[in-house]
Amino acid sequence: MSNHPNDYIKPELMACCGAREIRDGDIVIVGTGFPTMSANIARYTHATHATLMQESGVFDARPARPALSVGDPCLNPGAAMIGGLTDVMGMFLQGGWVDVGFLAGSQIDRYGNINTTAIGDYAKPKSRLPGSGGANPIGALAKRVLIIALHNTRSLAEKVDFITTPGYLDGPGARERWGLPPETGPQVIITNKAVLRFDKETKEAYLESYHPGTSVDEVVKLTPWELKVSDDVHETEPPRAEEIRVIREVIDPHRMITIYEKRGYV
Amino acid sequence: MGKVMSTADAIGKFVHDGEFLFIGGYVCRPPFAAIHEIIRQKKKDLTITRSNAADDFDMLIGAGCVKRFIATFISLGVYGLARCYRRSIEKGIPHKIELEEYTNLSLPLMLMAGAMGMPFVPVKDMVGTDLMNVRSFMGDGKYKMIESPFDGSPVMLAPALHPDVAIIHVQQADEDGNAQMWGIGGDCKWGANAARRVIVSCERIVSRETIGKDPSRTIVPAFKVAAVTEEPFGAHPGYTPGFYDMDLAYGYLYKEASNTVEGFQAFLDEWVFGVKDRTEYVQRYIQKFGFAQYKKLQAKFDYGYPVSYTY
Repeated sequence: MSNHPNDYIKPELMACCGAREIRDGDIVIVGTGFPTMSANIARYTHATHATLMQESGVFDARPARPALSVGDPCLNPGAAMIGGLTDVMGMFLQGGWVDVGFLAGSQIDRYGNINTTAIGDYAKPKSRLPGSGGANPIGALAKRVLIIALHNTRSLAEKVDFITTPGYLDGPGARERWGLPPETGPQVIITNKAVLRFDKETKEAYLESYHPGTSVDEVVKLTPWELKVSDDVHETEPPRAEEIRVIREVIDPHRMITIYEKRGYV
Repeated sequence: MGKVMSTADAIGKFVHDGEFLFIGGYVCRPPFAAIHEIIRQKKKDLTITRSNAADDFDMLIGAGCVKRFIATFISLGVYGLARCYRRSIEKGIPHKIELEEYTNLSLPLMLMAGAMGMPFVPVKDMVGTDLMNVRSFMGDGKYKMIESPFDGSPVMLAPALHPDVAIIHVQQADEDGNAQMWGIGGDCKWGANAARRVIVSCERIVSRETIGKDPSRTIVPAFKVAAVTEEPFGAHPGYTPGFYDMDLAYGYLYKEASNTVEGFQAFLDEWVFGVKDRTEYVQRYIQKFGFAQYKKLQAKFDYGYPVSYTY
């Protein structure tokens, strides 16, 4: 088996990109789908001491199948601790203990601000979305935030219709002005086409790597802002054999990850 | 006078039009028996709240019981956006509810403040985002920004919440209302303790002696509880840890039905107005889907060490 098998699907590559952002020992707050997948890939490969928690109140769950929501029954038996929202969101997240948070959104802008509230005018929305839930506090308070998005000119936006969750707001210094904890904020936007990383100075997302099968030009074209390109831009490393093995044999034997292909992550 | 009563009596007696309700649950333990009864009794102008709302809130909104919603999030989980909620906000069907929006950190802390008798609580989230720019029925009282009196840094203060009534569904309670819950808690404990009166719906009523075998699991003490209702399978199609699994197939039915106003109405006619109480609901469920499907949802047991408090 080659070290980089060819038969992977795009959601697997994206999950691996997320996993590679996780360091050994990290405390990771996860939702369902990609976040859990990524965190578990990390746990079974390079970050065996990473631990997961769900906002609903669960620490170090050991589910027998992939959870369908952060309140899923399978998260209960086997967890190390179960409390409530004020335990995880309060004591752990606001308390400053969470290293990594994972977020997705219907609209994301160049500063990593996320909209999950409404498309169009808030008072008379074209489409009313679910709202913040735990996203705003995770975006505000987790040390490193990873964002998952579809790469098109609808999901990525020059400006989001509503800032539900703070990225770098309107640029350098904004998080600090609002009193958000120092050294926090989004790190990457992982899309089905590329990995965009946030510039430490300008706080703007730039192109770090493009996935196999696409190109710098295509990614730039699909991005609604003038996307800056790293001097070291390169192709994203495909999933490694070991990562693929962990996904298919350990974490997701029923291949629930394929639903993301139907949602456009191709 | 005894607190044990039917859900119909509990809702009739303790939930009044125009009141502010905390309704517990977080995928697990939504108090559906009580939700259906609120709809059957056509309660109206309610203000409702909890973090991460789901199909139960969607149903109350679609049925026209709700005027205001102190919200953080609402969806049908794996089945996506909440249909009745969207129709209310986007099209004013059956009417447009008023929304005050917080987050899954700030709202539970506001309930905690209510439970603790604190007038307000500092929260570290929300700042800098558009959640600050939208204010509805709470107006200027939605939050205040101050400079910390300790170090001058900007701090958001959010008000304590005091629901008139909390309705929660738990595994077990005694006749006086000592309510025991285990598994994912959401904001249930704070919401219940912030309220002026509590309706405890439970899978089983147990003796005071049984409560005393594991008192650390009690989340609401008897003195706060107004009514106790025994409703086995009372959280369905949500789940109750140790009792039954969530029912995804039924959740799909609700999603499909609630896609249209007519479908939603037919769903209510069948599952809410078409039955007189939870017992009939369970009978209808078994008639329609079979006893095997009902049994399939029942939880298996897996015990650890028994807990002992003796000395």
